[in-house]
Amino acid sequence: MSWNHDGAGQADATGIEHLDGLYSYAMILSRNHAEAEDLVQETYVRAIQAMGRLRAGSNMKSWLFTILRNIWFNQLRKRRNGPQMVEIEVEDGLANNIVEPSKDSHDLYVSKIETEQVRAAIQELPVESREIILLREYEDLSYQEIASVLDCPLGTVMSRLGRARAKLRALLSTTLKGSDSPSVRGTK
Amino acid sequence: MRDCSADYGATIELYLDKELSGPDLEEFRAHLKGCEACRAELAAAQELSSLLHRSRPLYSAPDALRDRVMRTTELVPSSAPYAPPRLRKRILKLLAQPLQSAGRGVPRWPVFVAAILLVVALLPVPGILRQASANSYIEAAVAAHRSSLNGSLPLEIKSESPSVVTAWFAGKVPFNFRLPDAAEQVGHDQVYRLTGGRLVNYKNGYAALVSYQMQQQTISLLVASSKSAVAAGGEQVPSGRIVFHYSKHAGFAVITWSTHGLTYALVSSLPGSGRQSCMVCHENMAGGNHFTARQ
Repeated sequence: MSWNHDGAGQADATGIEHLDGLYSYAMILSRNHAEAEDLVQETYVRAIQAMGRLRAGSNMKSWLFTILRNIWFNQLRKRRNGPQMVEIEVEDGLANNIVEPSKDSHDLYVSKIETEQVRAAIQELPVESREIILLREYEDLSYQEIASVLDCPLGTVMSRLGRARAKLRALLSTTLKGSDSPSVRGTK
Repeated sequence: MRDCSADYGATIELYLDKELSGPDLEEFRAHLKGCEACRAELAAAQELSSLLHRSRPLYSAPDALRDRVMRTTELVPSSAPYAPPRLRKRILKLLAQPLQSAGRGVPRWPVFVAAILLVVALLPVPGILRQASANSYIEAAVAAHRSSLNGSLPLEIKSESPSVVTAWFAGKVPFNFRLPDAAEQVGHDQVYRLTGGRLVNYKNGYAALVSYQMQQQTISLLVASSKSAVAAGGEQVPSGRIVFHYSKHAGFAVITWSTHGLTYALVSSLPGSGRQSCMVCHENMAGGNHFTARQ
C-alpha cells in the first residue's frame, strides 16, 4: 500500500507500517481494545482525507500519531458533556501475539511474561507518562517530534520523560533484577 | 568519588536518547570516564531501556483491524482510480463509523450500504489485499531464514529423514504439516538434502521452519496454514495445479506456493529468477515442461 500525495514530485509513504505503533498508542490512551481499534481506524480515515494537505517531506509518523491523539482528546471532551461510556479493561495478558520468529518455547514463554509485566507497569502510570514512554521508547521519536505530537515545549518533554522513567523503573524493579541475561527475544 | 548523579540526571537522559551533541556530548563523555556514580546511573537507565525495547511492539494490531485499515487506505486516488471522488468520500465517511460501536442503537443500513459500496469500489483492485498478506508472509520467511543463517534459530529436530521431520511437527503446529511433494518423491536425484526443522512463532500460533542444505547453502522453508498465509504476486511459474510465485526480497530469492491447505515460502540465495531458480533444485523436472514462466 502506498500513499501518494501532492508536493514537489510525488512522495511515496507507507502508513500501514505504523499500524502496530498507532494501535499501541491507542491502547495506551484508551486502555480498551475496542476503543483502540476504533481510534486507529478513524486515524487512517482522517489521514487519507487530509493526505492532500500533507507536504512532501513531512514527517508522516509524527503526523499520524498527532491525528490519533487529537481524535482521542476530542472524544474525551465530548464525553465529558455526555454519559460516561468508557470501559476500562483489565490487562489482557497474552492475547496479542509476537510476530517475529522466536527462540525455543521456554524463551518464548519468558519473553511473553516479561512483555506482560512491562505492559502492566506502563498501564499503571498516569496517561502523560504512558504516552511519553510509548513515543520515546517504542516509537523512537525524537524530543522535538514528541513535543510536536504532544503540543508542548521541549523542556516539558524532558521533565515528563524523566519522571515517567523513574516511576517505571520503580514499578519494574523486580523484573529488572531478574533480567540480567541478554535478550531472550532473539532477532527482530 | 563525587556523587553528582543529581546534577547530571537530565544529561544522562539526553545522552541515552542521543539528544546530546557537540561540546555538551564531549563534556559529558569526559565526565563519564571519571564518575562512577554517573556510569552506574547510565547503566540503570540503559537496563530499563533494553527491557522496554525487548517488549516491542507493546501491542500488536489485531488482524481484523489490519485488514480493515488496509481496505480503507486502498481507497486513496492512486490505488482506486475507478472510484469516483464522491463515492470515495461516502465510503470513507461510512468507514469512519466505529467498528465496535456499529449496531449499538444505530440504524444498520449505512453499514450494509458501506459494505456494498466497498465491494464496488474494490472491484478494480482485486488481489491487493492478497498481495499485502503475501508480502507479510514473505517478510516472516526471510526473517526466519536470516536468523537461521546467523545461528539464532538453531534446529530443534535434526534429521535428513522427511518422515522423522514430519512426525516431529505433528501436534506441534496447528495444521497438518507435510513437506512439499517434490521433496519426498523417490527416484529423483535431489541436489539438496533435508537437515531438520524447528518451530517459529507466526501470527497467532506456530509455523514450521524446515531447513535444507544444497552444496554450501542453507535453504529455509517456512510452512504455515493457508488460513494465515497467502502466496501471491511476483513472477508466476505454473507447474501442474500449483502456481509458484517467485520474487526477490532483501537480496534473497523467495518462492511461495499454496497446496493442500498449506502455504510454503522457500528462501535461498539461489541465482537466476523464476523458472531458472526452480530448475536449480528440480533439473529432473525440466523435460516434462513442469515449469512455464508467466508474468
